[in-house]
Amino acid sequence: MKYAYFPGCKIAHYLPAHGKSVEAVCAHLGLELIKPEFSCCGYPVRQESRDASVYSALRSLALSARLGLDLMTPCKCCFGNFRHALHQVGQDEKLKFRMKNFLTDEGLDFPETTSVRHFLQVLDDNYGLVKDAVRRPHKGLKVACHYGCHALRPENITHFDDPFAPTIFERLVALTGAIALPWDLRLECCGYPLRGRDETISGLLAARKMAGAKASGADVLTTACTYCQLQFGAESGHPDRSIPAVLFSQILGLSLGLEPENLGIEPGEAWVRFAV
Amino acid sequence: MDFFSIGLTLACVSAAGGALWRARTWFLRGKTFAQSGGKGPGMARRFVGGLADLVLLRRTLRHGPARWTGHMLLVLGFLPLLFLHAMDEIITRPLFSAYEPTLDPWQFLRNLFGLISLTGLVILALHRITRLKTASIPQDWALLAVVGGVLVSGFFLESFKIMSPGDFTRMTDDYFPEAESEELLALKTYWARENGVRFTIFLPTAPEITELGAELHEDRCAGCHAPTATAFVSRSMTALVPSSFNIADQGGTIFWYLHLGLAFTALGLLPWGKFFHPISTGANLLVRGGSRASRPGTSSLARGLGLDACTRCGQCSLHCSVSPIHKVLGNPDILPMDKLADLRLHLDDRLSPAQTASLVEGSHICTECLRCTQVCSAGIDLQDLWTASKKALAEEGRAGVDGEMRKSTAAEWARELSSRKLGRIGSTGAGLADRAESFWGCVQCTTCTGVCPVVAVSEDPSRDLDLAPQQIMNLLRMGLKAQTLGARMVWSCTTCYKCQENCPQGVPVADILYELRQMGADILRKKEGRA
Repeated sequence: MKYAYFPGCKIAHYLPAHGKSVEAVCAHLGLELIKPEFSCCGYPVRQESRDASVYSALRSLALSARLGLDLMTPCKCCFGNFRHALHQVGQDEKLKFRMKNFLTDEGLDFPETTSVRHFLQVLDDNYGLVKDAVRRPHKGLKVACHYGCHALRPENITHFDDPFAPTIFERLVALTGAIALPWDLRLECCGYPLRGRDETISGLLAARKMAGAKASGADVLTTACTYCQLQFGAESGHPDRSIPAVLFSQILGLSLGLEPENLGIEPGEAWVRFAV
Repeated sequence: MDFFSIGLTLACVSAAGGALWRARTWFLRGKTFAQSGGKGPGMARRFVGGLADLVLLRRTLRHGPARWTGHMLLVLGFLPLLFLHAMDEIITRPLFSAYEPTLDPWQFLRNLFGLISLTGLVILALHRITRLKTASIPQDWALLAVVGGVLVSGFFLESFKIMSPGDFTRMTDDYFPEAESEELLALKTYWARENGVRFTIFLPTAPEITELGAELHEDRCAGCHAPTATAFVSRSMTALVPSSFNIADQGGTIFWYLHLGLAFTALGLLPWGKFFHPISTGANLLVRGGSRASRPGTSSLARGLGLDACTRCGQCSLHCSVSPIHKVLGNPDILPMDKLADLRLHLDDRLSPAQTASLVEGSHICTECLRCTQVCSAGIDLQDLWTASKKALAEEGRAGVDGEMRKSTAAEWARELSSRKLGRIGSTGAGLADRAESFWGCVQCTTCTGVCPVVAVSEDPSRDLDLAPQQIMNLLRMGLKAQTLGARMVWSCTTCYKCQENCPQGVPVADILYELRQMGADILRKKEGRA
């Protein structure tokens, strides 16, 4: 299997471990990632301009289409915006016309057929492959899955999973030998979209979720989205982080038998002691 | 005081004074940002990396062999010309006792280095024309033109000097004053035939005269003159002047003034814009020490230097992640190269309010993806400049659309906006908020408000959020768009789409809130007169 890999903007500087672990896992599983020079997915500018956001998404989709590949991203917000953009142009002929003009200007064709897959979907598509590749299943690691809003909702646009009772994340966690615990807030927002806009509410949303994850008895909260990880992880600089937040790609990578340093896991990261 | 000394003095004063003024900005501009403290890796380790970047132009090589080849050739040709030719009286002559500019290897090397330089310059110019035309401004062309002018005029100057009978006479007057007229004729014959001097008089062709000329040349001239054929470019260029044109003397004078004038211009313009990049970029590469990552703890002086080190090579803008957004919105400050230039002007307090608004928009649209920092040929830590300047702008009260909207209360926005025609949201969004059908199903059941995590964490929603989601839907249904645009709920929506997913009646609540924010952004864009 071969995908056009769309890391998204934040990985390079703010969360290299995410890119590193996703690429290591894919390489180990034999999922080939092609890396054209993509631009922004358009999610960050969606607050300011619909056209700019939709065009950003379509341009990257057009680059994938030119390679004849589906696009795979490890970020839920990028994923959601790609889906949203495709939905928007599907709804609005005038918008589609404007977008086609921009694309033509850059020598690109409208991406009629390219589909967008999130990293978790790609793993789920290759469920048997992943299952067979697990070498060192975690024993007793209890995790709280954080789903991430922009892949899950609105379901009629994202087609990710059941928006009220999704199972994909738990299913994949189970493959690694870890135990996914049920908890009330697993489908709630991480609060990252309000960073830099309304820090108070952003902080409150994060704290509420982490407290909920902790209360569920989990050892770690796991994410599969760059923004969510930035909100919960050590990178956030958040003072009251009650539970470690860990990228799912790292949990999976360890269970595949990959070395921590190849997954961007810093020596001495506290959560690793749970993952034996 | 003659042309040479006046020109040289003025150029040196301009270069030295301007360079000091430029270096002053390194201290001033960097200070405008908050200090981030901390120290990078050791000086010695960084020095090697920085030197390698500077000498080998490693960063330029990473992004295209054409530009690297062009720049390398230009520099490899230009530096020997600068030191060995332009500064020959203070460098070459003291070092080499037998130095004469008209002797080989100097004469040959001058042509060779000139040709190398010019080849490099042509490659760079072609690269700019094909890839960077739209991003280029006059100073980009000016630098190419001035350097090219110095090189080309040098070739023409030498070419005319080769042809000039006046120069021949001046030389024989000085170095062969006792010459008989027959000897002079023989020497002229030799020089016309062998070295391309163009005399207007009739010259004999008899072999004994030519032989005499050769003897005299060997005796009198050859000590200081290699055959002009070794000036292979200039000598070939004499073919450009038709033999019927008797303009060698005048041409020589004109090109002497032109060559020196352009050289003095280049020196005098050194502190202007990108003419300064050999110094500022070189210094920045050394300071950055080969690092391609963004380094936390950049000192204010390093920031000031980075701000000044742009060569306008355009790589950052060509590779920018948000270039599709620039394509749609058209604001030049979205792309790094122009944003950096305007950031400098802003730090110098020389940016108009409308331009500042554009800078703020560009600053907020940047996703801090690190790519410009990685591709920058000048090694500028752009990532650090973007994050630091975004923070500094926010502290000045310029926090982008969101910050502007929060400056006034919902009621104030309602008053301001109700007095003007807002138009349909269709221009910015899908038009959901204007379409009555969007709300037909809304029965004000408050499910959207009930599931909203923002409402849930707020201690006092009416104080923190002005309106609840279902109230916004109700106002929009009544066509009271102005009443909703400034509401905190609109701007503090965390875009989790729970409201929309849970609405039993299928009202696209979150999409409508998105549209309102897009409209707010659009209103501000017009109000601030942004690009």
